[in-house]
This record gives sequence, structure tokens and C-alpha cells, in this order.
Amino acid sequence: MQHKPVPPNFPLKLLRLFCKPEFYPDIEGDLLELYDKRVSTRGRTKASWFLFKDVLLLLRPGIMRTPKVNQKLNYKDMLQHSLLMAFRNFKRYKSAFFINLIGLSTALASVLLILIWINDELNVDKFHALDDRLYQVMGNYEQNNNINTWNGTSALLPEALTEMPEMELVVGGTDPNWNISFDLTADGKKTKAIGKYVGKDYFHLFSYELIQGKPAEVLADPSSVVISASLANKLYGGISEAIGKSLEWKFLTIGSPAKITGVFEDPPSSSTDQFEFVLPFALHKRIEGAHWESPNAVTYVLLKKHVELEDVNFKLVDFMQSKVEDSNVSLFLKPYSEQYLYNRYENGIQAGGRIDYVNLFSIIALFILIIAVINFVNLSTARVSRKMKEVGVKKVVGARRSTLIAQFLIESIVLSVLATIVAVALAALLLPEFNQITGKVLKLPADLISMLSIAIATIATGALAGIYPAIYLTVFKPASALRSNGGSSGGPTWVRKGLVVFQFALSITLIVAVLVVSRQLQFIQTKHLGYDRENVILFEREGKAAEGLETFLAEIKNVPGVKTASVITNDILSPPGVIDFQWEGQVSSDVSFSRFIVHYDFIEALGVELIAGRSFSRAFANEPQIVLNEKAVEVMGLKEPIGAKAKLWGHDVTIVGVVKDFNYRSLHEAIGPMFFHLDSRFASTVVVKLESGNLQQSLVALESFYKEFNPGYTFDFRFLDQDFQALYDAENKVATLSFYFASIAIIISCLGLFGLAAFTTERRIKEIGIRKVLGSSVTGITKMLSMEFTIMVLIAIAISLPISFILARSWLTNFAYSVELSWWLFASAAIAGLAISWLTIGLQTIKAARSNPVDCLRDE
Amino acid sequence: MKKNPIGEFEEIVLLTVGILHGNAYGVTIKEEIESRLKREVSVGALQTTLRRLESKGFLESEHGESSPSRGGRPKLFFTITLNGKKAIEHIRQTRNALWGSLPDLVLDLK
Repeated sequence: MQHKPVPPNFPLKLLRLFCKPEFYPDIEGDLLELYDKRVSTRGRTKASWFLFKDVLLLLRPGIMRTPKVNQKLNYKDMLQHSLLMAFRNFKRYKSAFFINLIGLSTALASVLLILIWINDELNVDKFHALDDRLYQVMGNYEQNNNINTWNGTSALLPEALTEMPEMELVVGGTDPNWNISFDLTADGKKTKAIGKYVGKDYFHLFSYELIQGKPAEVLADPSSVVISASLANKLYGGISEAIGKSLEWKFLTIGSPAKITGVFEDPPSSSTDQFEFVLPFALHKRIEGAHWESPNAVTYVLLKKHVELEDVNFKLVDFMQSKVEDSNVSLFLKPYSEQYLYNRYENGIQAGGRIDYVNLFSIIALFILIIAVINFVNLSTARVSRKMKEVGVKKVVGARRSTLIAQFLIESIVLSVLATIVAVALAALLLPEFNQITGKVLKLPADLISMLSIAIATIATGALAGIYPAIYLTVFKPASALRSNGGSSGGPTWVRKGLVVFQFALSITLIVAVLVVSRQLQFIQTKHLGYDRENVILFEREGKAAEGLETFLAEIKNVPGVKTASVITNDILSPPGVIDFQWEGQVSSDVSFSRFIVHYDFIEALGVELIAGRSFSRAFANEPQIVLNEKAVEVMGLKEPIGAKAKLWGHDVTIVGVVKDFNYRSLHEAIGPMFFHLDSRFASTVVVKLESGNLQQSLVALESFYKEFNPGYTFDFRFLDQDFQALYDAENKVATLSFYFASIAIIISCLGLFGLAAFTTERRIKEIGIRKVLGSSVTGITKMLSMEFTIMVLIAIAISLPISFILARSWLTNFAYSVELSWWLFASAAIAGLAISWLTIGLQTIKAARSNPVDCLRDE
Repeated sequence: MKKNPIGEFEEIVLLTVGILHGNAYGVTIKEEIESRLKREVSVGALQTTLRRLESKGFLESEHGESSPSRGGRPKLFFTITLNGKKAIEHIRQTRNALWGSLPDLVLDLK
């Protein structure tokens, strides 16, 4: 008997896969017969090939089975059943349901709020239509072997840059941070409004929409002014009414009438630059002057299409050197909309900024969500013994594993959908509060994409929370699941314990973070800065006050409640730097000194302590004089500072006194060398120190005095400590937000622990009963029950403390002056964590321990 | 016969089943067509056509015996139904009528 050739298996297997079952046997028969014949006529290999080809050619609609995989299952009914089971389970295990619902919905609400905030932060300044080609010229200023980066450029730069072939449009302007309050007079009406100077193509470059006027024309004439819609409404009662009208503006002693040539839509809240009117840049150049050495303007650039930023930046590096030989400035371009998030530079290198907070809160959002999801996983797996019966019975009657997994997933997705509904309501409710903390005008998103992403996130959260319990619960064999003691194993406890440890490690880290942040902020705000910022008010020097300074100061000192008064030219919290300063015995040349341009009595008004020499005084000759701080004396290496001569911009000045170092900047920076310079010519701000105690009365008196002295001007003052607070605005917001979110995270963790404790004690109620019958004491049982959790929390503490120490230390390096990271900070976080967990489980354990054994044992 | 128009290949298959009278199953039909018409027929094309004709009611099938070379699988024998006979008869008549009315001139080409 000849060996029967065996046909290749694969084509036939393939055929079986796709062929209609009722056709399969005879087609296979035909194929085999053909194969047999071909083997004898054409050989084996050919026959196999033909077989394969035939099978492939059988892949056609008439032969293939219709792709109904589970024709017998009715999906709608199964879905209905699963939903029903989900709701029954919620009803049956109410406490677990509520813990999950509250946990998930708070978490989702927090995440939603954080996401809205992040989205808003990411979209700041992005609304300009030309955003992708819009750049700001930045300068790296090298001083004291240190590079300071800021946006100041010479007012001559815009014109010079237009010559570069890569530039489509270059527009000059004044720094938006400098946006100052002008006095406006229109039709006899007086008001104050924020204004700035901008180049004539400003409205081409930026998408501030002009309601009236054309972008090319509105700023062409140096005597034109373009105002915002709300200012037009305020001054003229309408937008079209304003056009062509005359508006008189005044700032300090400078001012002139201008013609309104256009009205623009108020800048949206997503714009960092907020202003109410703009004046032509040409005017600014005329008033302030334009020199290559003085960076008194900013420059915006629109690059041509397909121009590489690197190429332009490469050309700009030594651009300034072509204008000023020994310039210490190196220019570069930065995308305009990136300035907001990436605003910190260290030695000329981009070093984060607001983006750090965006990242921080993204992480917090993720943590909160993880903690809530862990709760769900824990409570579901803890209920394993109860669910096991259900799974067992279902498996016995033929349920597939995939069906059961689907059922559990549906249950968790239903829960997360419910939680999302609650979360959205919660977020809507909390949004006003949230806006107040963040200082933003956020709204719940209502567009389709956001809705869709929320829906996707909801389902993803549900799936994430449900997948582990679903897989874990359905893995059991029905026999073991249904055995009477089958459920006593209670599931993989290490997973559950691990998750609790993880949750608590996160929570304790957050406690430490909140403690460190709040301590540091308290430290900043109460640290003695070397001067007294309490009861100091500031207001603009204008009107008659700008004309007769000495009279004004003399009269204001007579107002009851006023201790002393002076004027200053610079912003107290950000004094300008000076390099052109020489003294006898000078060694290094490029030291930058901060310069306070002040008048008599200023040092006294701020309460800066004098340690040598004298302060500025009217009693002495009015020669050019300065007062140094200790750091300046040290830097200059002066042995006998008093009476020593120095040269400021080539002019002689005499050092008359030395003050103790004081923190004039934010505590992010160390104290540098500085001096007070007696010069009141351009003083713009009046500084008044009030008596403490009857502040309110003094302010009222001052206001009536001001009205009398300076008619037509409003007494618009601010407190110095408010300004000071603003230095730490970002930190304060972050501190408040992180406090809230950390609390939420901790509360959610505790909810989970509470649920778990309730469950374990309930499961061990019989054991407790027996123990009590055998003579165990209430304390003994309480100890026994809380031991398990205590160990978990202790492990969490051990993990989280080193991590939080590293995190806290790296955050504090942002500050030049920071609190010590003392051990008790961590100890109290640890104790707080432990105490919170005990409080959470305490009620449960004590209740269980005190229960009467008769109640729990009588069923047996 | 408006309802179920018969395609060219279907016609060939129907006729071949008729020719093979009683011995028409997958392999024999395929070989018969290939030898008579000198054209390659794939199992796929043939099987789909057979099933389609069956669902149209022109063919019926019956399981027959097996042979060792078929791996124990039964042969599926096809026979023409009354409807099938009517269908090919109809085709033949329409063709004949058309041929009959064809002027001789047209065929004079060769």
C-alpha cells in the first residue's frame, strides 16, 4: 500500500475558520479529492500550492459565514441585566456605594476644576491670530557676572529690526508691566485709565479687534489716541460717539490733547496685557527719548512665514554690539504667547515659571483621581466573598468570563457616570469660590470637545476602577467560589494593603507639602524685612502736588494721623539697577547697585534703621548725596564710608550715611548692594506713613485734605503691604489651592480607609464575638483590629517622609530666605496621618469591640 | 423567468450538471467544464455558483458516498430541478429565436 499523501493542514484550518459550517464537509471533500489527483499528476508541492490557492479563492461572500459571533446572545437583555445588577448592588451595599460615589465625585470635581484652570493657563495670550509667528524680543543683560533676562529693549530697536529680511512686521511699545494710570479729561469729565504707547502697526500684529477705525490708520498721527469700548462708553456714552472727539491725557507733568481715531474691543481676560487706551509710540520716543543704551521700550516681531526661529536668534545674539560697541545685551526672540508660562530665567537660561504650577496641579489632579480609584478597587475586592457566590452561580449556569467581566465593568462605569454627574454639579457650585482663589474668570466648558472628553474620561475612570476587581473576581472556579467557606480568603490582601499604603503615602506627602508651603509663606510675610511696611500708603503725585512739592509735603504732614511723608521716583519693590557708579579704591567695575531715588524723610517713612552717619536732611546743604546699605559698603570695600566721595554717572555724590540691610525685593532674592539717592525731580509716588491705631480716621482726613489741596483729582491710594503681598501672589494662590486639594485627597483616602475598616470589622464580627466570650477585653479587641491599619499607615509614613523631604527641599531652594526644615514638621505630618487614620477607623473598631457577643453569635 | 436571470457561468454549470446526470459533484463538474470548455475553474467560483443556483431553486443537492481520497468526507451530488430545466430551456428558446431572426448577411463575415 502506497503512502497516502497528507495535505497541508493550514489551508484547511483556514477554510474551517471562515467557511459556513453547513458547506464545510463537502467542500473539504472536494478539495482533498482534487489534491489527491493533483499529487499524482503534478506532484506534491504543486498540489499543496493549488490547494492553498483554491482556499484563498473560496474567500467570497457566498461561502464565508456571516460575521455574527454570538448569534445566540442577546446583548440588549444582558446590558439590561447588568444595569439592574449594578443598581441592586448599589442599593444593597449602600455604605460602599456612597463612599465610592462621594470619593469619586469629589475627586472628579477637583480634577475637573484643575483641568479648567490648566486649560485656561495654557490658553493665555493664545488668541492672537498670528500667534504662531508672533515673537517678543527679549534681552539677556549681563551684570555682575550674572545674566538678567527681561523684555526691555531700546526704543530705537523696532526701526532697526525692520531692516532684517526675516521680519514681516516689527512694532515697538511700552512694557505692559509698566501700564500706568493716566488722567483723562473728555468733555469736562475726568477719569483714570490704564494706557500705554504702541507702534502704528500694533493692531495688525495683535488681535485686539478694532470696532471703529482701520488698523493701518488709527495710530498714524502722533496726536491720535485709540480707546477701548468700555472707556468710550464711560466717557462718551457710546462707541461711535467717541470717534473724532478730543481727549486730554496727562501723566505727571506731561500731557496733551489727542484725537480719538479708533475704538477697540476690551482685551479679553485671556490676555496678559490689559489696557484701556493706546497712544502712538512716536510720542513715547519724543517724551522719554530713544537711545541704544536705555532699554525703555519693548519690541514685538512678526516673522515671515517659513523663517526658522534659530536662524533669527543666531543673527540677534550680537545685534546690539553693532549699535553700541561694548553693549552687555544679547537679544533673542521668544514666542509671544510663551512668555506667560515660561517666565523665569536663571542666568539667561529659561528655567520654568508658571508652567511649574501647571505641572504641579496636573500631578495633584492625577493623585486625587488615583486615590479615588484605589478606594473603588479596595472596596470592590473586599466584597469579594459576597460577590463570589454571584459569580459562582452565574458560571454554573453557563456565564462566560467575558460576560461577567463586562457586568462588573458596567457596574463601575455606571458608578463613575453617576459620580461625574455629581462632580459636574459640584464643580459648578464651587466655581465662584475657585475663581476667587485663582483670580480668574473660569467657566464650565460647554463645547462638544470638552463634553466628549469628559464622557471619555468618565468611562475611562470607570473602566480603570473596575478592571482589576472584574478580572480578579471572575478568575475563580465555580466549585471553589461556591464552597461554603470559599470566600474566607478575602482576596489578595497584599494588593489591597499595598494600595492603602500608597494612598496614605500620598496623603502624608501632601500634608508635609501643605505644612512646608504655609510655613514658608508665613515666614515671608512676617519676616522682619528691615523696614516697616505697615500703615504706609502710596499714591500718585499729580496735579498741584506735582507742582509745589515742598508745600505739598509740608501741608500733608499737618494732617492729623500722618507721621511723615516723602516722595519716591522708582517702584519701592523693584528699584532700578545702576552700573555707572565709581568710588575711590574701586576694584571690580561691573557691580550693579539698586537705586532708590527718594526725597527727604523717605528713610524715616519706611523705618529703615540707620547705623552710621546721618539720613537726608533739609538742615544740611542740598548737595548730591547718597545713603548706602551695609551690603554696598561691603561690596565697595569702604573702611570709612561716611563722607567718602563717589561718582554717579560721572557726577560727584557724597556718602552721608549707612543703613542696616533690609529686604527691598521679594525673598526669592538675596539682599544686594543698594543706595538711596536724594533726587526728587521726577518723583512720581507720594509715600505717607500713618500713625498706627486710628488708621480709618487718618485716611478720611487725608482724603478731605487731598480734595481741598488737589481739586479735580481722586485720592487713589494703595497700601505698601498690599504691593508686598502681590510679590507672593503666585505662592499665595498655590498655597491656598494646594491646601484645598490636599485636604480633598486626604478626605478621600480616609473615606476609603473607613469603608475598608467597616468591612473588615463586619467580616470579623463572629471572631470578635468568640474572642469576647472567651474573655477578651474591649481594649484588647480594639488593639487587635486597629493593628493591621496602624502597620499600613506606619509603612506609608516610612515611604513618604524621605520623598516629601526631598520635594520640600527642592521647592525651598526657590527662595533666598527660607524656613528650616525641622524634624518636627515631618513628625507632625506623621502624627497627623496616624491620628487621622485612627479617628477614621476608631469608631468602627470600638463599636465592634463593644458589641454584645450574643448579637453576633446567635445565628450559629 | 424574469425573476432570476441566469449568468453565463451559471448557465454553463447548470448544463454541465445536466450532462453529468447523476454523477455531478464538485470535482466532476469542475473537470467536465475544464475539459469541455478549456478554461480554468476555481473551486471557489464553482462552489459559490453551485450554492447560488441551489438557493435560486435551479439545483438540488444530496449527500452521497465517500471515497478514501476525500478524507472521509461525503460527496455532494447536484441534480437539476424542474425550475432549472425550465430556466435553461428558456435560455435556449430565447437564443434560438434571436438566431432565427438574424439575417444571413451578418454571419457572412468569415
